[in-house]
Amino acid sequence: MGSFFEDKKGDMSKYGAGRTFLSNVAAAAKRYLHLLHVFARFSLMSQLEYRANFVAGVAVETGWMLIKLLYVAVIYRAGINIGVLTPDHIMLFIGLYVLMTGFYMLYYGNFTSLSTMVREGQLDMYLVKPMSTQFLVTLRRLDFSLLLPDFVVGAVMVGIGWRRAGLPSDFGTVAGFLFLFMCSCLLTYSLFLIPHLLCFWIVSTRGITDMTAALWDFNNMPQMIYGRWMQRIGTFILPIFVITNFPGLFLMGELSDGMMIWAVAAPILAFVIARLVWKRALRSYTSASS
Amino acid sequence: MDIIKVEHLCKEFSYYKKETGLQGSLKNLFHREILTKEAVRNVSFAVEKGEIVGLLGPNGAGKTTTLKMLSGILFPTSGNAVIDGFIPWERKNEFKRRFSIVMGQKNQLWWDLPASDSFYLNKCIYDIDDAAYRKTVEELSELLDVRELMNVQVRRLSLGERMKMEILAALIHRPQILFLDELTIGLDIISQQKIRDFLQYYNEQTKTTVILTSHYMRDIEALCRRAVIISHGQLVYDGELSKINHLMGDKKLLTLKGIGEIPAEKLAAFGRVREKKGAETVLEVPKDKLRETASAILSTLHVEDFTVTEVPLEESIALIFKKEVDSL
Repeated sequence: MGSFFEDKKGDMSKYGAGRTFLSNVAAAAKRYLHLLHVFARFSLMSQLEYRANFVAGVAVETGWMLIKLLYVAVIYRAGINIGVLTPDHIMLFIGLYVLMTGFYMLYYGNFTSLSTMVREGQLDMYLVKPMSTQFLVTLRRLDFSLLLPDFVVGAVMVGIGWRRAGLPSDFGTVAGFLFLFMCSCLLTYSLFLIPHLLCFWIVSTRGITDMTAALWDFNNMPQMIYGRWMQRIGTFILPIFVITNFPGLFLMGELSDGMMIWAVAAPILAFVIARLVWKRALRSYTSASS
Repeated sequence: MDIIKVEHLCKEFSYYKKETGLQGSLKNLFHREILTKEAVRNVSFAVEKGEIVGLLGPNGAGKTTTLKMLSGILFPTSGNAVIDGFIPWERKNEFKRRFSIVMGQKNQLWWDLPASDSFYLNKCIYDIDDAAYRKTVEELSELLDVRELMNVQVRRLSLGERMKMEILAALIHRPQILFLDELTIGLDIISQQKIRDFLQYYNEQTKTTVILTSHYMRDIEALCRRAVIISHGQLVYDGELSKINHLMGDKKLLTLKGIGEIPAEKLAAFGRVREKKGAETVLEVPKDKLRETASAILSTLHVEDFTVTEVPLEESIALIFKKEVDSL
């Protein structure tokens, strides 16, 4: 094998030419999954460099989660039913909210740092990489100190609520639940990315960040506690209720066929909108002086 | 063959006026006067494959904005650019695999991890096979003299070491075109020299096309035969670096040592006195009169030593900038 300098060639054939569409998609998916794995590894390695900060992060998130658990304790103690929901069902819904919060918090830091990146021109170095800039910018840093407590406790709450409420656990139900959960993950990512993209035009988005955090917390109880109009708005206009309520309602057999379609359509629609806004936003990027 | 072709490139930025103080801020809350700044105005040039071109200009001239448009970071307001068959701002991945940009004030390395991890990430992003990746890292780390630092966290590296790692990270995918923006800014003389030597060798070996901006004339003189000078967003010179002095009047500097106390009027008869420091006097004389002036000085004055040098390039370039400002 020759030296690096002798071996220079511009072989681009492996990037697309001669491949079918499906094999290209499969190759791209494999590549992006691998990249996500590398991001996760590097993020964890970076976080473990600062052990005290990592432990403090876990402790703070655990504290927040304990506050959420208090709701469940109060509901059990009072024996409150909300419509068809027993305390066990409510535990399942709150568990889903905790679990989804963990996944959201995993990449949330990338959303909030977007405004600084735009203001200081840090996007420059990401824009020149031969991959999806959106993927790189929004998923490159993953915060495991936030995911860890939410994931563990959320999963346990869902498990307990599921069992105690006597909900079915056959293959079809579990597969359907997992599919809807993944749809919810995509919806969360897309829906909550859009407001942060405004920073390309208005630069500072602290107010918007606070607003999205408040919107997210609408899900800390099942949607049934809100009025009918509020539920409609939260399902169709700003579909935040779809995120944590639909997988639970599916388990309970309370999700109509129309809502099933919406559970799949809403994330796709939100993702397409987020993608379009992202592309438009990048055109408006003005970088910063060096 | 031109690998980079830029035609009538323009970039405007809009901004708003802000008067000083709280009153200005409150006024801005209700009404903002939008102004437009033309950062790049009608710039055209072409670069041949393998060429190293110095993009020069004072701060705010539009050099970095031009590089950012050529690398697809910014969309131009108008004009065209074709780089190796691609329009940069279409941001095609195929294009992104062909170039690299290194900016002295921006970094791509993961701060808390060793640089080798960032190299590995670039390997994955650029989809480079293991053997080619290993060979590239091995050879470039040897050339840049950073092999021992591969496992040190980036935050613990000195600025010079970090810059070498940034260069290595940018070359992992063997780009055909390199944009270098103020690469040596803030570096000590030895680090500057090492990076210059490396770039020169790299260009010789790989015939990579390079456009570089730098405020250090030594970088430009050592690496570039050609300079493109931009002032106030406009191209004011495009040609050989060696011809810039010629353009500015073809002068030479005569440094005379040990001539003692001679009245300035007497010295002025030989040429313009540029500097007089103790026993050393620097005279500026036209190049075509150098020989006769030198022999006249030697025959009439007692001179211990004298040297002939070119007018520093910085001065000629500064004159080009000034001429441009005066003509605005």
